[in-house]
Amino acid sequence: MEMRIKEHPILGVQEKEKEVTFFFDGQEIKGYEGEPIAAALKAAGFMVHRYTKKEHKPRGIFCAIGRCTDCVMVVDGKPNVRTCVTPLKEGMQIQTQDGVTALKQMK
Amino acid sequence: MKRYDLIIVGAGPSGLSAAVEAAKRGIQVVVFDENEKPGGQLFKQIHKFFGSKEHKAKIRGFRIGEDLLKEASECGVEVVLNATVIGLYLEKEVTVRIGDAVEHYKGDAIIVASGASENMVTFDGWTLPGVIGAGAAQTMMNLHGVKPGRKILMLGSGNVGLVVSFQLLQCGCDVVALVDAAPHIGGYGVHAAKVARTGVPFYLSHTIVKAEGEDRVTGVRIAEVDDKFQFIPGTEKHFEVDTICLAVGLSPMSQLLKMAGCKMEDNPKKGGQVPICDEMGRTSVEGVFVAGDVSGIEEASSAMIEGRIAGITAAEYLGYMDSIESGQRVKGHEEALEGLRQGMFAPKNRGKKIETTDEGIQISENLLKRGYIADDEIGRYPGIRQAAGVHPVMECTQNIPCNPCQDACPKGCISIGENITSLPIAVEGAECVGCGMCVASCSGQAIFLVDEQAGDGYASVTMPYEFLPLPEVGARGKGLGRDGRPVCEAEVLKVQTAKAFDQTHLLTVKVPVYMAMKARFFVAD
Repeated sequence: MEMRIKEHPILGVQEKEKEVTFFFDGQEIKGYEGEPIAAALKAAGFMVHRYTKKEHKPRGIFCAIGRCTDCVMVVDGKPNVRTCVTPLKEGMQIQTQDGVTALKQMK
Repeated sequence: MKRYDLIIVGAGPSGLSAAVEAAKRGIQVVVFDENEKPGGQLFKQIHKFFGSKEHKAKIRGFRIGEDLLKEASECGVEVVLNATVIGLYLEKEVTVRIGDAVEHYKGDAIIVASGASENMVTFDGWTLPGVIGAGAAQTMMNLHGVKPGRKILMLGSGNVGLVVSFQLLQCGCDVVALVDAAPHIGGYGVHAAKVARTGVPFYLSHTIVKAEGEDRVTGVRIAEVDDKFQFIPGTEKHFEVDTICLAVGLSPMSQLLKMAGCKMEDNPKKGGQVPICDEMGRTSVEGVFVAGDVSGIEEASSAMIEGRIAGITAAEYLGYMDSIESGQRVKGHEEALEGLRQGMFAPKNRGKKIETTDEGIQISENLLKRGYIADDEIGRYPGIRQAAGVHPVMECTQNIPCNPCQDACPKGCISIGENITSLPIAVEGAECVGCGMCVASCSGQAIFLVDEQAGDGYASVTMPYEFLPLPEVGARGKGLGRDGRPVCEAEVLKVQTAKAFDQTHLLTVKVPVYMAMKARFFVAD
C-alpha cells in the first residue's frame, strides 16, 4: 500500500479504523473501515470506477466530495453509489459500473 | 414540518460561525450540511493562515476548524449531517434530503452559507481517470491519508494551486510542473516561492494541450499560449505524469438563493453569480442572509467573520437584540474583515496586475513569472538587511494582509506598523537573539535567519522546513537557490523543533559565505 501516507510532516501518523476486507470486481482487497470506498481503491492502485453508457469512456475520482458523480460504482448491488463519500465496510462488494449496471467480467 | 428560529445551510467556516453567534443569544438554530463531517474545507487546510491575531493568523486551518467545532458544540448548536438542502422556497420553507427521504422545515430566518464549488477547464482527455480537482487532491491526502498520485502536474497558479502543490510535495508526491495560462502567477508570491525553491518549474502563459492515456492518465502535453490564449506552434512540452490536478478557481454555489427569489448579479470580482447583499449579509429577500464564499469568493478567514456578522444580523432580525447592540457587536468584526480586504490581492484588485508595492518598490517580475525572486532583485525590499551576526531576512515582497512576524519577535527586530499589509522592515539597531520565532510564525515561509560570520569562512542560514524525513545534524547535501537549483554544498548544523513552532522545523545549514543570501532550501545527498 505505497499510496498510503505513513507519516505526514504536519498531520503525523493518521489514525485508521480497523482493517477490513472487501471485494472489487470479485478480487479481495484490504482497506480501512469508514474511509471512502474511493480512497481504499486509490490506495490499492485502482483508478477506473466506471465506463460511460454511450461511448464506453473510463471515469474515476474527480471532485472527491460527492459533487460530480464521476466516481459512482455498483456497491452491494446498488448502482450509482458515490464512492468518494460512501464509507467502506467489511465484506462490501464493489463493482465497476458500465452504464448503469455492473461491468460484465470477462473470464 | 419542523420549525426553527434560524436555519443555516452549510456547516463550513461561515455557517458554523453564524450558528455560534445566533446560539449564544438563545436562538433555536439548526445547521444542515451535506457532508459526513462538519467544518467544510477547513480540515483540509494544513497550512498556517495569514492575517493578524484577530484573524487567527499563523494557526493551521484544521486547528481553527477544531476550535470552531468546539465552540459550536459548547453553544449547543445542532448540526445535522448527511443532509442536503435541496430547496428554499417562499416563506422560508426548506426541503432537505436526509438519507433517502426528503424532510420539510421552516425557518423564521435563513442563512445560506453553502460555499463554493471548483471550476473546471476542458481539454483533450480531461475526463480520464487521473484528472482531478485540486480540492480532490487535498481531500485524498489531508483527510484520507492517500496520495493523489505519484507524478503530478498542477494547472492553476492561484493560492489554491500553489498551496495544494506544496501540500502534494509534503505528502511525498512529485510535482513535475505548475502551469497557468495567465502570464502572471495569480496567488501570493510567498506561496509560489516556497514551491519554486524545492525545484518545481513554473510555466506561465502555458496550458494543457492533451491528457494522454487510454484508461488513465499516463502523460500530459502543454504548450505556450499567446495573449489571445491560442497555442503557439513549436512550444509543446511533454511530462510523464499519472495525475493532473486542476486549480482553476471557485464559483459561488448560489443556486438556493436564486431559487429563493433573491436578486442576483454576475460579478467577476466575486467569482461568478452571487446574491446582491449588503455588508451585513442581508439579501433582497427579507430574513434570508448569506455569508462566506456563496456571496463572493474569498478566504476562510473572511468567511468566518462574515458568518459572525450574519449570525448577529439574523439575531437582530429575529428580535433577540436591538439594533444598537447588534451595531456594536458587528463593528469589531467589520474592522477585522476590512483588514483582510486590503493589499494587492484584495477582492477589488482581482485580475489587476500591480507593478509596485504601496511603498513604491517594484514587484519582482521573476516572482510573477517563475515563482521566485532573482538574486539581483532581492536587495531592494525593506526586509533585507546586511548585518553583523545572526539576523532575520524577510523575503516578503507583496502587500498582503499579514503581520504575525512583527508580534513574534521578542526583540523588536521586525516592524510592519499600523498597516497590516505593509512590507516587514528589518529594524536597524534591534538585536536578534536567533530564537527563530519569526521563521516559524511566517505563514508564507518567507523568513530566514542569516549569519554571515557564523564560523571560520562560512555562513549559516536557518530556514523553515516542513518535510519528512527531517534531516539530522551533520547531514550533508546541497543548498538550493530560490529557483530550486543547487548552488552549493551544505551541512546541517542544527535542527530545532518546538511546540511553539507548530510542526515547522527550523533547519540551520552551513553554507559558503557568498551563498548566505542565495541558499534557501536544503536537500540531503
